[in-house]
Amino acid sequence: MKKTIKLPELGKDIKEYVLVAVNKEEGEPVEKGEVLYEVEADKVVNEIEAEDSGIMGKWLFEEGDEILPGQAIGEIEV
Amino acid sequence: MIYIDTKSQNIYYNLAMEYWLVTEKKPSDTVLLFWNSSPTLVVGKYQNPLEEINIEYAKTHNINICRRMSGGGTVYQDPGCWQFSFITKSENEGIDFKQFILPVIDVLHDMGVPGAGFNGRNDLVIEGKKFSGNSQYIHGGYTVHHGTLLYATDMVPLVESTTVDPQKIISKSIKSVRDRVTNISEHMEKPLPGEVFKEKMVAGLLGDGAVYDLTAEERDRVQKIADEKFNNYAAIYGGSPKYSIQRKGYFTGGKMEFNISVAKGLIKDISVTGDFFGTVESEDFALALKGCPYEKSAVVEALGKMPGEVYRISKEEMAGLIVV
Repeated sequence: MKKTIKLPELGKDIKEYVLVAVNKEEGEPVEKGEVLYEVEADKVVNEIEAEDSGIMGKWLFEEGDEILPGQAIGEIEV
Repeated sequence: MIYIDTKSQNIYYNLAMEYWLVTEKKPSDTVLLFWNSSPTLVVGKYQNPLEEINIEYAKTHNINICRRMSGGGTVYQDPGCWQFSFITKSENEGIDFKQFILPVIDVLHDMGVPGAGFNGRNDLVIEGKKFSGNSQYIHGGYTVHHGTLLYATDMVPLVESTTVDPQKIISKSIKSVRDRVTNISEHMEKPLPGEVFKEKMVAGLLGDGAVYDLTAEERDRVQKIADEKFNNYAAIYGGSPKYSIQRKGYFTGGKMEFNISVAKGLIKDISVTGDFFGTVESEDFALALKGCPYEKSAVVEALGKMPGEVYRISKEEMAGLIVV
């Protein structure tokens, strides 16, 4: 089953983040709890852990892109 | 709160200690580190050293280059610049700098620096000049907050090493903001020796907290993390955002202009134009250099394996042009 990866709300004052690292390429296995991607805003880097185990699907953005809380940024096959 | 004296001026080791605390030690109480380092330029998580640092100056003045895991811009540190780190469980939603920097300001006020305060970007300032930059990373339920304290830093290398010749680099990296800076000691009626400043800062921040010494095994583990995660080419340069760069040079053998794409510290693509003569085509450069580390000695070696030659331009000259 394909599941959408959405950027969670990380803080009420932050409207926009920069995607600074994707740690899994398409087709790679993902373990729940491992750091899947990282975002930066206001000099703070947040490491975001995978919510599910599965196989990484497509990333909808690339590193350096600006992304918004709640936005779909990738897909995972769970 | 628990204080750990890192007993090291090695920035790779000290940043590794922060990482070890959040990934392996996982303390239940807040940990304070207070340390300084030999001269080092520290770029933010998503920065490109080539865009932020005068690499040639850094090399000739034996200044280390390091990438930290937190965000923001490039800072210069030396033994006159103290660094405080708070490692704590992330309890608050969102970004909170004040819980970490207000205690620092309070202690500075107690030490006779009444002008210390913070600006809108969470930097600490005296009379509008910055003496402390702060940043954070959040990992596995912990927040690492660290900040610099310019106390008696040599301002000449600070300025020179971060003054970069404009290069034709295109990237999405986070760019540093250049601020006017000042040393705390200049604002004290009777400046204290650096080590006394450290003792007073630690005492003020720690209060009635405890002190912890790492075991020999724990120190070995931190050193291993320093070597694997912080002090190597892949961490420092490979962590850069992908970028493209144009490099143009004039030699006895003619003009060469390279267009180079670099990702994770490796040359992903390269093309060349110019009025030079030789038995090689642009595709030969691409075949020889794709996948090669963007580093001069590696490029010289790769060019050495390229079939054909360029007349009256040496491989060293070409590598010196290709690599900033």
